[in-house]
Amino acid sequence: MIEHEDEQLDPELARLASDYREPPETPREPMWQRIELARRSRRTPSPWRRYSAPIGIAALIALGVGIGRWSAPHVPPPLPAGPRIATGPKSPGGTGASSGPSNIAYRVAATQYLGQSEAFLTLFRASVERGQSDALASATARQLLATNRLLLDSPAGDDPRMHALLEDLELVLAQIAQLSPSHGSDELHYITDDMARGAVLTRIRTAVPAGPATLSQGAL
Amino acid sequence: MTDQALIARALTGDPSAERALYDAHVDRVYRLTYRIAGDSDRAEDYTQETFIRAFDRLGSFRGESAFSTWLGAIAMSVALNGARKTRRLRLRELPIEEAAPLGHMPAIAEPDLRTRLHQAIDDLPDGYRTVFVMHDVEGYTHEEIGRALGVQTGTSKAQLFRARARLRERLADFAKESP
Repeated sequence: MIEHEDEQLDPELARLASDYREPPETPREPMWQRIELARRSRRTPSPWRRYSAPIGIAALIALGVGIGRWSAPHVPPPLPAGPRIATGPKSPGGTGASSGPSNIAYRVAATQYLGQSEAFLTLFRASVERGQSDALASATARQLLATNRLLLDSPAGDDPRMHALLEDLELVLAQIAQLSPSHGSDELHYITDDMARGAVLTRIRTAVPAGPATLSQGAL
Repeated sequence: MTDQALIARALTGDPSAERALYDAHVDRVYRLTYRIAGDSDRAEDYTQETFIRAFDRLGSFRGESAFSTWLGAIAMSVALNGARKTRRLRLRELPIEEAAPLGHMPAIAEPDLRTRLHQAIDDLPDGYRTVFVMHDVEGYTHEEIGRALGVQTGTSKAQLFRARARLRERLADFAKESP
């Protein structure tokens, strides 16, 4: 192994290097004001959120009920009277809480939501790489964020892996949702860096079966 | 008041403690980010982002290293991510054998050498330049650089060695031309 510890920079070079990109006086107050402003705005919830939750809940319930009705097996009307006859063994797990129609509906909703998020983040990342940014990105991220929060609190979020994925996705979506209209490309790259660090897209793709047809069939 | 006491107070929501931490460390962070970024606008952006992230994550600071080291690591993460935007990372590393033989620079005239040296530092691969600036310009130790950049101390030493060798190589012609 090569020993590097004794190596010293020539004193003349060291002296000349000392004023390399010599910083000016630190602009303490302007920076502090911007730090305070940024932190305050992060703490203040967007007024949009006030309305998004009820709208999202309604949409999710409607989706769940619709899918539940569609996926529920057809049950013949009960016999009016007389002794009931056993019709055979029940399928294993068929009556378990995790496979009830409403849970299946949540799983389907989660799968569809992840598919939408994957498409959105793929487009977002591509636009960042092209040096573009879409004004609709923040609005779309806010919509997805509302659904994300609902899914986190739903039975779909009970699965630890799904929960962790939704939490990481929430962080990425929150950053996109909070982009100011005058954001710099630095901010965009921070977001894509965070996406890459958490392997968010890869994990979504792993969680979502390929192809639109399998989005619902896989869960059902 | 120590950093540890200020952090404890900041975690209870005391804004004056946050301000005190900022005042104690902002110069070092700004100097470093300025040296990396090379202009005021980006240095200010990086410094602000560093403190915003630090305050947001203050609860995760466990005191295993000095607060300044922890802050330095955040600053370097922010600054290097920012540098990717303005300049693609140049991570090509020359084999160490290619470096020019070591030798003392003769006493030569300024400001040409200063200009050439600064240009040569600019042209270093980002990894070399970062370690060179942190160690030889800002006075960080290899241990601090290792923690800030998430690399082994030996890696920091090797990067510095190669950076200096590369600078000497770039300035070799200048040394020959000088009387």
